[in-house]
Amino acid sequence: MSDEHLSCGEHRHDLSCREICDFMMAYLDGELPAGELAVFQEHMSLCPPCVQYLDTYKKTIALSKQCLDKEAAADPCSNAPKPPPVPDALVKAILAARKKSP
Amino acid sequence: MIDDGSLTERKPAADLSEADLLALLRAGDDEAFEELIRRHGPQMLAVIRRYLPEESDAQDALQEALLSVFKAIERFQGDSSLATWLHRIAVNAALMRLRTRRRRPEKPIEDLLPHFSDDGHRTEPRADWSVRPDDAAQNAELRGIVRTAIDELPESYRTILLLRDIEERSTEEVADLLELSLANVKTRLHRARQALRELLDRRLGESGRPGEMMR
Repeated sequence: MSDEHLSCGEHRHDLSCREICDFMMAYLDGELPAGELAVFQEHMSLCPPCVQYLDTYKKTIALSKQCLDKEAAADPCSNAPKPPPVPDALVKAILAARKKSP
Repeated sequence: MIDDGSLTERKPAADLSEADLLALLRAGDDEAFEELIRRHGPQMLAVIRRYLPEESDAQDALQEALLSVFKAIERFQGDSSLATWLHRIAVNAALMRLRTRRRRPEKPIEDLLPHFSDDGHRTEPRADWSVRPDDAAQNAELRGIVRTAIDELPESYRTILLLRDIEERSTEEVADLLELSLANVKTRLHRARQALRELLDRRLGESGRPGEMMR
């Protein structure tokens, strides 16, 4: 996509990109009132940079969830990559602390 | 189920089933506690490190988490898997550590928020992301990029993003855990996502054609 196509400064919008950005989370959570939702959607229909920003905002949420879930899966028997073992010195320290704890 | 009266004949600790391990833990068996740490400790420590990237903090929190596991194991009902229960205890221990240790100065987040022209419109074009989140989990390089970017978020923002977007706790629960207002949690979550988006934008851009990383 060229810079020219991404420019939205020449369009007339009821809300600026900055204001639209503030509404994005409420939009994704389905919390925008009907009037604001209509304005939001109108802006998005005219503003490719905001459309792209929203797309990458959503991908950010999905990516972080996918990557961290995989990185430290709750189930140690899963096929996920295994995190490194707990250092021996720490295992011993925890066992010693357990013996001392009431 | 293991016969506690013949411990010398039992399987090596590493071969114990979860049910046998639990039975021995409830009986206060020392080897079972060590096996619990070795079997589940790595996942717990990995989760804690998300909140506490400094290793000494993370190790202290793991110790606190496991000591509370040892005390509470008799009350574990098995409503969820042992791993899920331990995961939750690890997160709580990390949050407790964050609350009790001395607060460290945070980097400002403003540089990572979107920039606009004076009239409120976007000032710079953005490159397309060729990333497919569904494939991302299979790509270690991408996981490293995402993990590093999350670690770079200021602590108070990172904590909220982890609790809401990774742990999928509700806004109300996060507000309760962190003693913040609902509005504050929402504002900080939105800023954290924007900042993480910006960090990923920079790093995925540096990789040239990020879409090819996924294949």
